[in-house]
Amino acid sequence: MTIIDKEPAEAIEAIRKGFETAGYICDRHIATSIYLSQKLDKPILVEGPPGVGKTELAKAASEIFNAPLIRLQCYEGLDESKALYEWKYGKQLLYTQILKEKLGDLLEDAVGLEQSMEKLHQFGDSFYSENFLEARPLLQALKSEEKTVLLIDEIDKSDHEFEAYLLEILSDYQISVPEIGTVRAKNKPLVFLTSNNSREMSDALKRRCLHLYIPFPDADLERRIIRTRVPEIEEGLRNQLVSFVQQLRGQDLKKLPAVSETIDWARTLLLLHADRLDVEMVRNTLNMLLKFEEDIDNVSAEVPKLIAVTQQELR
Amino acid sequence: MDKPLAEFIDMLRHNDVPVSIGESVDAAETVQMFGYRDRGLLKLALAQVMAKTIEEHENFDRCFDQFFSYNPDGNLTREPSKEETEEIDSTNPAPNGEMPPASNENTVNSPTSGGGGGAEGVRSGEGMPDPSSASLLDLLETGDRTALTMAMNSAANVVNLSGILLMTQRGLYTRRIMEEMGLDAVNREISARRKADNEAGADELSGKLDILFERVRDLVERQLALTSAGKSSRFRQDVLKKVRLSAIEHRDFKHMRMIVRRMAKRLTDLNSRVRKVKNRGHLDIRKTMRRNVAYDGILFETHWKQKQKDRPKVIAVCDVSGSVAAVARFLLLFLYSLNEVLPKVRSFAFSGTLGEITDSFDRLGPDEAIPLAIDTYGGRSTDYGRALEDLKELMFNEIDNRTTVIFLGDGRSNGADPRVDILKEIKQRAKRVIWLNPERKNIWGSGDSEMLRIAPYCTTAETCNSLNKLELVIRDLLKTS
Repeated sequence: MTIIDKEPAEAIEAIRKGFETAGYICDRHIATSIYLSQKLDKPILVEGPPGVGKTELAKAASEIFNAPLIRLQCYEGLDESKALYEWKYGKQLLYTQILKEKLGDLLEDAVGLEQSMEKLHQFGDSFYSENFLEARPLLQALKSEEKTVLLIDEIDKSDHEFEAYLLEILSDYQISVPEIGTVRAKNKPLVFLTSNNSREMSDALKRRCLHLYIPFPDADLERRIIRTRVPEIEEGLRNQLVSFVQQLRGQDLKKLPAVSETIDWARTLLLLHADRLDVEMVRNTLNMLLKFEEDIDNVSAEVPKLIAVTQQELR
Repeated sequence: MDKPLAEFIDMLRHNDVPVSIGESVDAAETVQMFGYRDRGLLKLALAQVMAKTIEEHENFDRCFDQFFSYNPDGNLTREPSKEETEEIDSTNPAPNGEMPPASNENTVNSPTSGGGGGAEGVRSGEGMPDPSSASLLDLLETGDRTALTMAMNSAANVVNLSGILLMTQRGLYTRRIMEEMGLDAVNREISARRKADNEAGADELSGKLDILFERVRDLVERQLALTSAGKSSRFRQDVLKKVRLSAIEHRDFKHMRMIVRRMAKRLTDLNSRVRKVKNRGHLDIRKTMRRNVAYDGILFETHWKQKQKDRPKVIAVCDVSGSVAAVARFLLLFLYSLNEVLPKVRSFAFSGTLGEITDSFDRLGPDEAIPLAIDTYGGRSTDYGRALEDLKELMFNEIDNRTTVIFLGDGRSNGADPRVDILKEIKQRAKRVIWLNPERKNIWGSGDSEMLRIAPYCTTAETCNSLNKLELVIRDLLKTS
């Protein structure tokens, strides 16, 4: 983690480079965010349309900082017993059984009820203790001996209540377990929260995070992404397909193609041994880019025009 | 925290970027880390610390550009230490005052130097009665930037520039500051030079004066951006809340939507916390176990995961006929927002016949859904009787003692029987019936208005012609639910 101790501009450039070697092409924007989150000890709330690499960002960060990734996928109904901690009930029950059996031996020499109770109090209360605590992802991240990257994916899918559970972790990197006390992070994890904005996050949550919005990449950035992700593809075709996708994003579609779709499409074209875009092939592979029948129908008619534009741009 | 940052945060707060104290502490740390040197980087970093939604990011970018573009001037006053870095950037107006005068006087037009000398005499005579204005003349002549800026700022303080609120006050304040600095004397000087046939001298002075004007205007502009942008939008919001719904113009629709949405959200946030634990669904194992430890681990007392949120069930019926055309849009907008924040709103619209619009509200944005509702159900003449019949047919079984029925309409039934008997039945079943009428109470019952017949069968019948009123009514509704 020495990168972040450098001068800001230098450190940010170093982070950007680091991501690039990890195969994640990003601009200064994203690198700044990582730098800030390290410096200010703040989680990053990543928003953006689906498929622009929000989750990938966390994976790449785990790679370049050499920290294991702990992932928590959010969904409706997710509660603290699945995200924070759970008691090992089976073991606890066994424990009471054992205790009952051993109780006679333990209290053998005690006279009278009062003395027995006193004796009983002398044993540690291990019923609610760390031994019976099952750590779920959030607690795991806090208890980990080494620094971790904690990814709380699609936080917008969770319930309002769950957001409230998170607040303590996000601001102070600690969790309060009522029966035991507060568990503090040994190493503050690098926390990413991703959201598709299907609902607005609460102000309390937003206030505790840095806010990073990742939009669709511009043509240049997208070309670089494709070059890294699908290095086998020829330059001419790469430029052409990126320009094609960029044009699609300007259209009225139900779901715009994201970077992940561009990558898939590039791989498909590679498999088909294409060396340039032609109308028939594009039409046949449109379903890699567009996920709605309606969109595909609309774009199909436009394909020759779009390809013509890409050719013009290349010249 | 340094002063520019504090001012910038203030500006953001006025521009709908609510920066909390914690965030401003982060911002201060960020500024410390990055410094002001690399503006691009600072902007990226600060944006992530302070702006938390996409709209806030847009506002932030705008404010940042606006605020820091003024800085070449601002720096002169606040942080002279940064002058070196800014010097290179600010090629025009400012250096004009510093460097070129020498070249002007000596090389470019040599007659000026003679004229300058002549002016000198006039000025000293002029300067006697009014020493303060002489200083402005002096300042202009010597082109001392720092002193000029200081004079400008103190003049700005005297005329209370921070009180500027509206665009239209720009000229006024600029003039006042100039006058405070001693504009009259300079003007007299210029005309004196012209009289003395010293055209070049006069031109030079008036040129410098123009530059000063320019800078004062910048100062005023900057202050305006700081103080007014936010205030005026807040001002506008306040006005919009009070103004009669029918008088609101179409261009304010977007603002209205924001206000209404915020209003509806606040209202439901206040009231969505009541819940009861349901008696079915998934077993809450951890709770059950814990509760049953006392019974030797035998699962004796069960606990369930599901909780029932106790939220009011609302049936809202909106009149979209011609007579309420002006307000229908806003009533529907409110309905739309209510639909967004409350889970159990069923919305209906009618003029002649009545139909449900909940579905289109769920599917479409307000810009599409509202006109669609008006197109589909509006345009015909109102018939409350028919609408109530339709409502009864569609919804009567759904109405129970937890349901609130809201009617939004003027109660003008074009002579048709309003069928208050149905309304009576509905009232008997429902928790309450609320009638919101955009008309004032004293014209209820006039003409074809059936309000006087309708009102007795409602739990409450109220005039509701502004957003403030609407909010009050809905708050009551949620409070008692």
